[in-house]
Amino acid sequence: MRYLFPLLSIAIILIAPFLGQIPIEISQINIPNSMEHTIFWKIRLPRIVVAFFTGALLGLSGLLFQSLFRNPMSTPFTLGVASGATLGTAFAIVFGLTSMVALFGFLGAMMTVITLFSITSRLSGYETNSLLLVGIALSFFYSASLMVLFYLSDESQSYEIIRFTMGSLDVVGFGDTFPLILSSILLLLLAIYYKDAIRLLLTSYDNAFLKGIEVKRVNTVLLIAVSIAVGIAVSLTGPIGFVGLIIPHIIKNIYQQSADRLLIPTFFYSGVFLVLCDLIARNLGTSSDIPIGVITSFLGGPFFVYLLIRQKT
Amino acid sequence: MNSSINNYSNNILTNITLTLEKDENLIILGSNGAGKSTLAKLLCGITPSTDVTINNQKLHTLSAKERSKQINYIPPKLEIFDAYITVKAYLELSRLYATISVDEAIKTLDLKALTNHSCKTLSSGEQQRVLLVSSLLHGANITIYDEPTANLDPNRTIQVYKLLKSDSIKSRIIITHDLTLAYRLGYRIIYMKEGAIHFDGTNKAFFETENLKQFFGSSLKKIDNHFVVNL
Repeated sequence: MRYLFPLLSIAIILIAPFLGQIPIEISQINIPNSMEHTIFWKIRLPRIVVAFFTGALLGLSGLLFQSLFRNPMSTPFTLGVASGATLGTAFAIVFGLTSMVALFGFLGAMMTVITLFSITSRLSGYETNSLLLVGIALSFFYSASLMVLFYLSDESQSYEIIRFTMGSLDVVGFGDTFPLILSSILLLLLAIYYKDAIRLLLTSYDNAFLKGIEVKRVNTVLLIAVSIAVGIAVSLTGPIGFVGLIIPHIIKNIYQQSADRLLIPTFFYSGVFLVLCDLIARNLGTSSDIPIGVITSFLGGPFFVYLLIRQKT
Repeated sequence: MNSSINNYSNNILTNITLTLEKDENLIILGSNGAGKSTLAKLLCGITPSTDVTINNQKLHTLSAKERSKQINYIPPKLEIFDAYITVKAYLELSRLYATISVDEAIKTLDLKALTNHSCKTLSSGEQQRVLLVSSLLHGANITIYDEPTANLDPNRTIQVYKLLKSDSIKSRIIITHDLTLAYRLGYRIIYMKEGAIHFDGTNKAFFETENLKQFFGSSLKKIDNHFVVNL
């Protein structure tokens, strides 16, 4: 078991670029200007890089949200942060601000976190179940706003928004991937830097406070960092749900350790998970790829219900 | 070097004024809902205010680290979110300023058998023992104990009494309903009722028969220096 998962993961990453509608011979990829060369370097590899880092970022964000809001079901998606980013991005599409899509995605995410924060401070003792309800209310509000944007948009914009909300890992070349790679690595480094504080926060807020942790500062820094990162990821790939929910839980079950010890495994396996989901999406034999968000949601929806039921008992 | 709170009021507490000399110990008594824990949370900073002075420094101006050196609060229950934190891990996290090692501290209240248990699975008495040991490891100048003996069996109560009395704690504030414990500890006593301090004086003065009658009426009996509820 100890070696099985890492080896399997590496195998998935290595095989992934070679499987798809157009099979690729390993010997052809280094011949410049060949079709294989273009597909491998310009399409498949960037796509796998995007899949890996998006998954890694979302998984780590989920782990951090679960720890900071101390609820196994709070992730940037269940609390509406990703919906906020989606709305911001759709706003940018409809009003022709295509160069600022990422910025608006980020603003949408931030807006949600600020709303959540101001509401949390009014709830005594971080009542996280109420926070989840706030997240649901926010999501409803955002989907209503998204409807308004649909209403205002023309046909091609509507189509663009719909495709966007399904989630997609389509990228051409590595140019667009750098903000994503950078933000996911920075988020990981930040989380590792705050590892000890996170461990104390996992006992209780009061205990962390009494043990000399600047609770408010750590919380604020990490939540803002997660929001920025999720904003960047969502503006690039669209909302890809449930990665941040499923993977941290599975990792916790396998490792039987607390979140501060699972930062790197969650990061890595969430990345691999999305690469695998993408591999499935690309190879189901349909004429075009199934949107990645559909695959993760099909897996994640039932898992979420399972968690709800298990939490009750 | 003293610690104080001056004429503080909020929706629970009214006109609280209290001064502690350096290394002075205090017992807080009072009926349920009198505001004892509220006062404790105020003193340790969990409830923010600008009115608390610890060792001549305003509490809210201290850095989190410096504050943790000055004061610690031990709640009546061990609340913990993460199921994978064991007793040993919790105690390791608690070790800040004390010279005593985690293993030594574990021995003081026989926690050896529990070290690999998750903190979430402990009984309330076990929680209290873990919390007490954690206070030794924290080693703050002032430690507030909120009902440290509430869930303990008689043998454990004696152990904890000895620990509370011992030199491993610098200065302590103990909230309790156990009058025998309060009497035996012998520290200065404040008695709280409806958010206000109704008595502040020496242990001896508090346990004068007339004084006791005033606070407890006929619900309390003194038998051979023990205080028994008159059921």
